[in-house]
Amino acid sequence: MAGRAQIPTKSSALIAMIADEDTITGFLLAGVGNVDLRRKTNYLIVDSKTTVKQIEDAFKEFTTKEDIAIILISQYVANMIRFLVDSYNKPVPAILEIPSKDHPYDPAHDSVLSRVKYLFSAESVASGRR
Amino acid sequence: MEDQDKARTSENQLEEENVVTFLDSMDAYLTLIDSLSSTLRQGWLELASARHSMGASRISSSLFDLKLHSAATSLRVTEDDGKYVMNQPHFTLCKWASSDDGKCCSGEAKFDGDELQKKSVSPQLRYRGTSQFDEPQEIQEKSPTSNGSPLSLDSPVQKQRHKSLSVFGTLVSPKLRAAQFSFETALETIVEIANIRSSMLSAFDQVQKDIESISTGEQ
Repeated sequence: MAGRAQIPTKSSALIAMIADEDTITGFLLAGVGNVDLRRKTNYLIVDSKTTVKQIEDAFKEFTTKEDIAIILISQYVANMIRFLVDSYNKPVPAILEIPSKDHPYDPAHDSVLSRVKYLFSAESVASGRR
Repeated sequence: MEDQDKARTSENQLEEENVVTFLDSMDAYLTLIDSLSSTLRQGWLELASARHSMGASRISSSLFDLKLHSAATSLRVTEDDGKYVMNQPHFTLCKWASSDDGKCCSGEAKFDGDELQKKSVSPQLRYRGTSQFDEPQEIQEKSPTSNGSPLSLDSPVQKQRHKSLSVFGTLVSPKLRAAQFSFETALETIVEIANIRSSMLSAFDQVQKDIESISTGEQ
């Protein structure tokens, strides 16, 4: 526990989103939209013209901003930057993969479940007994 | 010798408890994700219905408000003294908190949300169209409801909700309001998922430590 960073208490943290237009529209209706002084939004709409670089840049930006506590990312978008998502391991902001209209949720691809699934593999059980 | 056996037994019990806690939190995580999928599906369907009745150009990302404004719905993050690990984050949703009100009011907003949902599905809302074969008409903000009382814009929560909807016009389809409610419900589920994820990862860390201590003990 010594040396582990404290989680700062935030009273008004944001939810960032990297998802398709309909998902973003819905969550903006629910009031999570934020535009700061630099006219930067807390969301990125992903469509057919969005490049992987743009998604990566948005992900890196949202994970380094101190006022963001949760990042919602459609799972099919997370799959495009899977290496980046899986290598992220800070507690805040929490990365949550959500389903999209055209791509249902697949637990096999979820980064959190991937981290813990090795506990259920025969190899891990066998290695513990050696 | 007996003391050693007792200590080993209690250690084993603790390890089993850790595994059960981890499995429980994983089960809860998957259940919540499933619930979120259903809620989102409902929201997308309602959004599609609203787009159908209002027109695709009236519900589009080109209408999003890009002027300076802060989120009406935000999160409160606190440090939770988790069962295993200090520094476990805990998320609390603050729905429709106005800029004047620094407190989280999710309980109050949740109640308001339930009220709104009852009113929006009332069968006695007045329609503007004359023919029953017309496309579903847009409903004015203050239509009478089944209990006779009009939808009130007085509460700050309702004002915030109305402000969110007004991005898409003054008169909006009831399906858009329903979609708003569905996505609000989805947000609540998301915050629960974030908290259970946090518990699951800390339980997983503990189980990993137990496995490592078993394997170093056996070597």
